[in-house]
Amino acid sequence: MRQQRVLLVSVHHPELVRGGAQQVCYELFEGLKAHPGFQPTLLAAIDDSTPALFRSGARITGFDGRPDEHLFLMRDYDHFWHKTSDPLLIESFAEFLTLTRPDIVHFHHFMNVGVDLLTLTRRVLPEARIVFTFHEFLAICHAYGQMVRTVDRSLCSQASAVRCHQCFPDRAPETFFVRKQWFQEHLGAVDVFTVPSRFMSRAYTDWGIPPERIVHVTNGQRNYGAIHTGTGISGPRNRFGFFGQLVDGKGVTVLLRAAELLRAQGFTDFAVEINGDNLRYASEAGRAEFERFRAAEEALPPEQQNVVFNGPYQVDRLPRLMSRVDWCVVPSVWWEIFGLVISEAWMFRRPVIASDVGGMAERVQHEVGGLLFPMGDARALAATMHRACTEIGLWDRLAAGLPEPPTRETMVDRFAEVYRGAPVPRPSAREAVAAAAL
Amino acid sequence: MSDRPDLLPGRFPDFDEDAYLRLYPDIAEAVRSGKSKSGAEHYQRYGKAEGRHYLGRSDRWTEVRIGPTAGFGTAGPAVPRHAVEALLLSEDGRVFITGWVDDATIPLASLRLEGRGWVLSVRAEALARHARADVQAALGVAERRAFGFFGLLSAGVPLAASAECRCILEWAGGQQAAVTAPVRASTARDLRETVLGFLAGTGGGGAQIQAMLALDGSVGEQIIALNRAVTSAITAAPFVERFGPQARTHRGSIIVCLYGRPEYMFVQNALFAGKPGIEDYEFVYVCNSPELLDRLLKEARSSALIYGLAQTVVGLPANAGFGAANNLAAAHARSPRLLCVNPDVFPKDTGWAARHTAILGAGGPGARLFGSTLYYDDGSLMHGGMYLELDTGLAIRPSGIETRRFARVEHYGKGAPPDTAAFLRPRPVPAVSGAFISVDRNWFEALGGFAEDYVFGHYEDADLCLRSLQGGWPAWVQDLQLWHLEGRGSVRRPVHEGASLVNRWHFSRAWADSIAADLCGPAPERDLMPAQLSEMAA
Repeated sequence: MRQQRVLLVSVHHPELVRGGAQQVCYELFEGLKAHPGFQPTLLAAIDDSTPALFRSGARITGFDGRPDEHLFLMRDYDHFWHKTSDPLLIESFAEFLTLTRPDIVHFHHFMNVGVDLLTLTRRVLPEARIVFTFHEFLAICHAYGQMVRTVDRSLCSQASAVRCHQCFPDRAPETFFVRKQWFQEHLGAVDVFTVPSRFMSRAYTDWGIPPERIVHVTNGQRNYGAIHTGTGISGPRNRFGFFGQLVDGKGVTVLLRAAELLRAQGFTDFAVEINGDNLRYASEAGRAEFERFRAAEEALPPEQQNVVFNGPYQVDRLPRLMSRVDWCVVPSVWWEIFGLVISEAWMFRRPVIASDVGGMAERVQHEVGGLLFPMGDARALAATMHRACTEIGLWDRLAAGLPEPPTRETMVDRFAEVYRGAPVPRPSAREAVAAAAL
Repeated sequence: MSDRPDLLPGRFPDFDEDAYLRLYPDIAEAVRSGKSKSGAEHYQRYGKAEGRHYLGRSDRWTEVRIGPTAGFGTAGPAVPRHAVEALLLSEDGRVFITGWVDDATIPLASLRLEGRGWVLSVRAEALARHARADVQAALGVAERRAFGFFGLLSAGVPLAASAECRCILEWAGGQQAAVTAPVRASTARDLRETVLGFLAGTGGGGAQIQAMLALDGSVGEQIIALNRAVTSAITAAPFVERFGPQARTHRGSIIVCLYGRPEYMFVQNALFAGKPGIEDYEFVYVCNSPELLDRLLKEARSSALIYGLAQTVVGLPANAGFGAANNLAAAHARSPRLLCVNPDVFPKDTGWAARHTAILGAGGPGARLFGSTLYYDDGSLMHGGMYLELDTGLAIRPSGIETRRFARVEHYGKGAPPDTAAFLRPRPVPAVSGAFISVDRNWFEALGGFAEDYVFGHYEDADLCLRSLQGGWPAWVQDLQLWHLEGRGSVRRPVHEGASLVNRWHFSRAWADSIAADLCGPAPERDLMPAQLSEMAA
């Protein structure tokens, strides 16, 4: 049987910009390479955060000598409509499709690539199967796709023209009406959508995607190292780790505030390790709060410091970093679609303390494999951390109840089913999205 | 100003002696000194041969003389207070002047401008007047009065530029005053912006009616003439580039006039392209914002790849306005059917194109010129045809209260629930919104296209429909179902407010009598489906 050519289109390359969507896409790329039925190619977008990789006159290049990995050199990108205004990029993408002739084009996000390239792909490759994986709610929500209201940082349960206008008062309500139409039109070119968590499919169904076109495929990862059975110490389980991007939605400041509260209450027998990057993408207020805390913390004598800042990391450092903590804290203040860090914690048998919403609540079973606390509530997190440090047997009980993290192989097999699924009647695909939207 | 071939000695009762002497001070002096009996005699004996202008009382307000300027007498006693505040001269011989005068007791009679080698005279009635709170306060006058004046004068030929200009004001009591005012050179296009912006300023604070009435003298006509000159220059040499498949013929040409919002082009492309039957249509985009042209050309190139639509971009060096831009686009369209569509109109019904094609195929009276049901993005009806209303405008004059009928265009069903059957039924209506007009190309051309007298855009749609009705074919509304975001397709500036005043004034002047006769209100008396059309429909 002929191998099926799969083109994976990624929002970023994980080697260049850390993030869950690109990490999952790359895991899939690696997994498909090992699969006898598929021949994958990766096309990862890059933006002006890596200017050295832009070559004069080039729109698509290879990447660092790696076979079948390419970079899409995005420019003139409009982050409201999610498209480029440079026709040369459009032409290059079309040419790339023509040259590689994939049987399956699998988009991991449209950001940095352009949502209109879905329609272009359908036009250039009318017989190809187009798969699209949602990694958050950007098609629905202009606020970084997080469904968090800019007015009060509360979670948003439903977008609408007026509600979106309230979040962005300088844009008229009808602009958001048109934005929705624009996204739905292009997403209409997709045969199958996948979502990594089930609650997400409800949001997209409510928004207008026909439910029969949405498939749940969990994010899987390779095993990053030998599972640590313990940390080699027998004292209290009082070391907490944060792993992830230092952007507002990840809620790192909630953890910092919780640490401050614990100290204010006179409890100092704990340690927090902050591992992560991309503070530059945080809001000005979020960045300022983080920097303020870090400066104050680092000004303390070493014996009084409870919080350590380890900086960015690659996944190959996870075994070492995870061995330094007992608990993995996921304090996200948005829905957190999946939370790869939860899988990573499970991989190293670390119970998770997480916010009680979205993908975190779907995956972490309270009092079984971890603990949930009310999202954004630093006082509740402080209380949970205090309990984690002091309650004898809690860590062992929760560690024993941890599920196995989804593996890369599981994910690849599931996507293989999606790729080989029944053909989708093309004319109705676009209409179905449009009709469902009305 | 034309000469009169039938002029005979002693037989020119129409001759305006005062105006002639005011225009030509040297002759006035000759009459005063007894060298000439009168201006009329001078004209007959010498003036005609010298190329001086015949001035009839029925002639236009503005009087022009090109030639050496004469000296001017000193001002007399008790000159009313006054000021000339700005004076602009365009390269095509138009002058905009503004100032104020306290002439409640002694009316201003005329204004003469003396430039380098030219004289322009204008009667005071030709000037627009408006209230000036600042002047009122400065003069300590309790009563609100139209102290302000402004005028737009045209010589019809370029005038020599100069740094200054003498402005001679003359009052009904014979008083005169001369003011030397600096002259600011301007392009005709900038002059249009200045005049419209100024007009908008005079219409603020609920003074729109007064501002429109002020256009009566000659300013309204002069603004329209200026606009036409500007528009003609803008549309004279458009840039045209075509994208996408070009070989085939099309059933219809979707003409979109873009101004200020480039995103509507690619959004509209995407939302129209995905609908069945769109392959029968081509798009013609007219870019009224030159700064966007490069971007739009890129978008058109991308759209050709992504959507495969046949597309033509017509680029203009400035805003030609709705009428002229659509007329120009029609000239570049390559189908027998023209669909003039606003940039903020998108299909609501996925089958709109097929339905449109079916209406054309069925023919009949409802196919020649029709609009569509339009919906707000909130789902409510925005347009189910248009009807016409008349408002009575009041202006308080020293002589009393003046009234005037001003026409107003209203939409059937605006804001109504979307399924209100009365507004969705295909039927003839007095007019349809220009947000979507589908018209037979031959008929459009027979009507002369959209009127280009309206500045930037407004009322052209109703004007076209009323001319079509006059020609025996009422506009229809068909239930094609399109979204219309209304008012968000372009960025509105103060000059647009000024243009609105001119347009409503002009539309009312053209159509108020017809509307008053039998077209007023949502259920006009006139039978929009006369017998022969009814038979055709049957």
